[in-house]
Amino acid sequence: LCRLDMGTEREQSFHPSDEEIQRWMASAFDMAKDALENGEVPVGCLLVYNNQVVGKGRNDVNETKNATRHAEMLALDQLLDWCRHSNVDAGSVCERTVLYVTVEPCIMCAAALRLLHIPLVVFGCRNERFGGCGSVMDVTSAQLPHTGTAFQCVAGYRAEEAVEMLKTFYKQENPNAPKPRTRKD
Amino acid sequence: MSLHNVKKEAAEDMEPQSKRRRSSECDSDSWAAYPVLSDEQSQEAELIEAIAVPITNKKETSRLVRELSSLYPLPGLQHIKRVRACKPDSPHPLEAVVCLVSDAPHIDSEEAISVDSLLPSDRVRHDGLGEPFVVKVPACPPLTRPQFELASKHWPTSFHEDKQVTFALRGELFSPPQKARMQEYMLSAVAAARAGKESGMEAIGAVVVDPKLEKVIAVAHDCRGDHPLYHAVMVSIDLVAKGQGGGAYSFDKYPACQFALPTSNSTTETSQNEAVQPYICTGYDLYVTREPCVMCAMALVHSRIGRVFYGTSSADGALGTKYKIHTQKDLNHRFEVFRGVLSKQCEHLNGLEYIRKLK
Ligand SMILES: [Zn+2]
Ligand SMILES: [Zn+2]
Repeated sequence: LCRLDMGTEREQSFHPSDEEIQRWMASAFDMAKDALENGEVPVGCLLVYNNQVVGKGRNDVNETKNATRHAEMLALDQLLDWCRHSNVDAGSVCERTVLYVTVEPCIMCAAALRLLHIPLVVFGCRNERFGGCGSVMDVTSAQLPHTGTAFQCVAGYRAEEAVEMLKTFYKQENPNAPKPRTRKD
Repeated sequence: MSLHNVKKEAAEDMEPQSKRRRSSECDSDSWAAYPVLSDEQSQEAELIEAIAVPITNKKETSRLVRELSSLYPLPGLQHIKRVRACKPDSPHPLEAVVCLVSDAPHIDSEEAISVDSLLPSDRVRHDGLGEPFVVKVPACPPLTRPQFELASKHWPTSFHEDKQVTFALRGELFSPPQKARMQEYMLSAVAAARAGKESGMEAIGAVVVDPKLEKVIAVAHDCRGDHPLYHAVMVSIDLVAKGQGGGAYSFDKYPACQFALPTSNSTTETSQNEAVQPYICTGYDLYVTREPCVMCAMALVHSRIGRVFYGTSSADGALGTKYKIHTQKDLNHRFEVFRGVLSKQCEHLNGLEYIRKLK
C-alpha cells in the first residue's frame, strides 16, 4: 500500500482511518466480485460520507450507449441525488466524501472528481490504458485552477486481486472494459 | 405524440433555419481554423552540434562522401544531407558533415578538433579537406514546414511534406464552401449557448455533426446549473446516445438541447458495430464554442469522436492549452482538433459569461 501525498492546499485533518479504508474497500471488492459473477465489468465503486454510502456505481456504458457512463460518474450522480433528497448542501458533503474504487479512475472521472471537490480517492489496481491518477496522466494534483480542487490518492490497495478479477473478465471477452495491468512499484 | 417525435422534428428543423442565416449574419472570411498539433509537431526544431569539414577540391567529393559515410554512418541523422554547397564568396565550394560532436573521438575542446583526430588516414584519405569546424544541425526530421524552414537555415535537410498539415497551418485547409458549412454548425452552437445562458447556464454550446451526411446529430448547451458535470460536451454526447436509443440525462427542461434520430441508411451501416461497442461518436465532428476541459476531452476520447472544432481557448483547456489529450500517445484513440472557428462570436460568448459572473 502506498500513499501519494498530492500536496493540496486543503487542510489534512480529514482522512479516514486504516480501519475505515479496509472496511469500505472490502465492500468495493464485494461489489466487483458480484459484477464479475453477473458477467459485468468487475469494478466496485463507493462514495462514502460520514460513514454512510451515498453513491454506488457500476459501469453503464452498454445500456445507455453513452461511453462516459463509468461507475464513478453514476456514483457521483447518486451522491448529488442523495444531497437533494436529504436537503443538504452538495458542496459541504463532497468535501468530506471518499471514493473507494477497485480500479484507478480514468482521466475523465478523475477530472469529474476534481470538479466536485472530492478530497480523497482510495483505489486498487492501476488503469494503464486510461488512468487519470498517474498511470496515463495525473490530473489529481495538476495546476488546473478552473477544474475544481486537487485531491489525494491512496493507491495499490489489494491491487493484485483487482487485476485478477479483470483478467478473468477479459477471458470472457468484453470489448468495453478498461484493461488495467499492475506495475511492480 | 412521443417525445422522440417532437425532438426529431425539432432537429430536422435545425438545418434549414441556419441556412437562412448564411448570407446575413457573418462572413466566413473573418476567421480561420488552425490545427492544434502535437508538441513534437508544434515545437521549434531541436538542434544538435555536429562537426563539418570544408571540401576544398570538388573532384574529391564522391570519394569523401563514401569514405565518411563508411566511417561515420550517422544512423539517427538520415534527414540531413551529408554535403552542402557554399555561397559564391566562400573560399571552398562545399562542406560535409563528419559526425556529431558527441560521437567524435578524444575531443575535449574545439581546439582539439583536427582532421587527423577525426579521420584515420587509412579510412579517409585527407586530400581535398580543410579544417573541421562545429555546426548546428537539426536533431530530428522536420514534421512541418515551419520546422523544415528553420532546420534548413542551419543545414540542408530533407522533408517529407504532409501538404494537409502545411495548408492547415496556414489556415487554408478548408475550402470556402467547407468553411461556410463549418460556420453554420458553429452558429448553431453559439445559438445554443445563448439559449443556455438564458436558462441560467454558462454560455457554452456544442453541436455534433455527421460530416458524411452533412447532418446535425445533436445540439447542446451547458447545463451545469442543474448538475455540475453537465458541461455542453457531456450533454452533446448523451444526446447522441439518446438519438441511438440510449442516453442517461433528462433534457425535458431544455428545448434548445436537441438530437436527431439516425437516418435509415446510417443505421444499417453502423448498427452491427454499435451493438457491440457504444463508441457512438465514431466519424462525427464536434463544434464547441470553447475549448473542452479535461473531463470533456477525455469523454470525447471514450466516445471516439472524429474531429473537434472549437471557437476560443479556455484557461484549463485540454485540447491545446493545458493538455493535448487528442495527441496523447498512450491513449487508444486520437483525433484532429482545430481552433478558431467563428472565433469572434465565440469570444463574445465568453464576454457574456464574464459579465454574468460580475453581476
Ligand atoms: Zn472513468
Ligand atoms: Zn468540460
